[in-house]
Amino acid sequence: MGALKGWLLHRVTITFAVIALIVVGWNAYVAAHDDGILEGVVVDPSGEPVPGAEVVLSERTIVSLAPIATTTTDGQGRFRFERHNRHALVLNASKPEVGQSGRVEIRLYFRNQNRELEVPVRLEPAG
Amino acid sequence: MHRYPRWPIHLALCLACFVMLIPIYWVVKTSITGENIFAYPPSLVPRNPQPFFYVDAWYAIPFPWFFFNSVIVALMVILANLLFNAAAGYALTKHFPGKRWIILLFLACMMIPFHATIIPAYLITAELGLLNSRLGLALPAFSHIICIFIFKASFDAIPPSLIQAAKIDGVPEWQIMLKIMLPLAKAAVATNVILSFIWSWNDFLWPLIIIRDVEMQTLPLGLSTFLAYFEDTTGALYAFCVMVLAPGLLVFLLAQKEFIQGLTSGARKG
Repeated sequence: MGALKGWLLHRVTITFAVIALIVVGWNAYVAAHDDGILEGVVVDPSGEPVPGAEVVLSERTIVSLAPIATTTTDGQGRFRFERHNRHALVLNASKPEVGQSGRVEIRLYFRNQNRELEVPVRLEPAG
Repeated sequence: MHRYPRWPIHLALCLACFVMLIPIYWVVKTSITGENIFAYPPSLVPRNPQPFFYVDAWYAIPFPWFFFNSVIVALMVILANLLFNAAAGYALTKHFPGKRWIILLFLACMMIPFHATIIPAYLITAELGLLNSRLGLALPAFSHIICIFIFKASFDAIPPSLIQAAKIDGVPEWQIMLKIMLPLAKAAVATNVILSFIWSWNDFLWPLIIIRDVEMQTLPLGLSTFLAYFEDTTGALYAFCVMVLAPGLLVFLLAQKEFIQGLTSGARKG
């Protein structure tokens, strides 16, 4: 009994148990948040939602930028992507009569992480 | 009460620690900031630290697979080293004809670098059909002569009366080694574990020579693959380096007390 307690409380056992707990916890978190849902709102320069804006989602690799999906904002200016399966993304939005946004960099902690953009994507008039 | 003030020694040790730790700190700092190593003026404090370079490194190459290969190879090397080195060390504590010559042969072999024997090692591995396999990766590291001597020094320090008592009680040799010698030589075991783990974990040349498939690569080989694929990856590259270094540091920190004891056990004989 004493030997078992000593073995359980040994620093090696505790360290690897903590690592195992972190790994299990992290994987559980990932499994619960990996639908690849990316949501946000597109607004005009005055902050009003922009319906019908085109939003392009691109993958940012270490060496390139490649478009992977496109969508259009709804009546409330909201957009939504699903199953993007990437961890480094760039978002662009545009609407001909309103303007276009700058590049919005999105970094995720794991692929397919669900994320709602806290800051709206703002369109600026061209020029 | 010390005869001399100790602060000069502590100051010198602090300076030595600083010099040794600065490169490690720089690697960790670059891994979370991505700052170019040649940036001037250099900043000691990380600016805008973020963990995403680790995510980039994780996905840029099959990191979990490389990690798995490294762990499997390291486990095989550790187990084989404990078995073979302990047996050889125990044998060298006995008196038998030619023991002196065997020790001399071991010492002579220690002076031959692995690079000089790499072609015969490759040919033997190929003959055994173990090229491009995890067992082939581990095989040349199954025993290290220095670890045999660490076991021998540790076993020599154990009072012979203990072994004689066990023999009188009819305990076979393998049980004497397993149940009496090894539990009393924990420091040597820890030293063997650390040294064989670190040598196996950091080995680059041997995997480079015998591994052909990506799925058989270990982490150091993965690091070179990483460098070959991408050039402008300062942050991700350093993050990868930290991920390769971390397990070795962890194992060392966990067993450092026994490791130091193991390395000095020969000096405390008697």
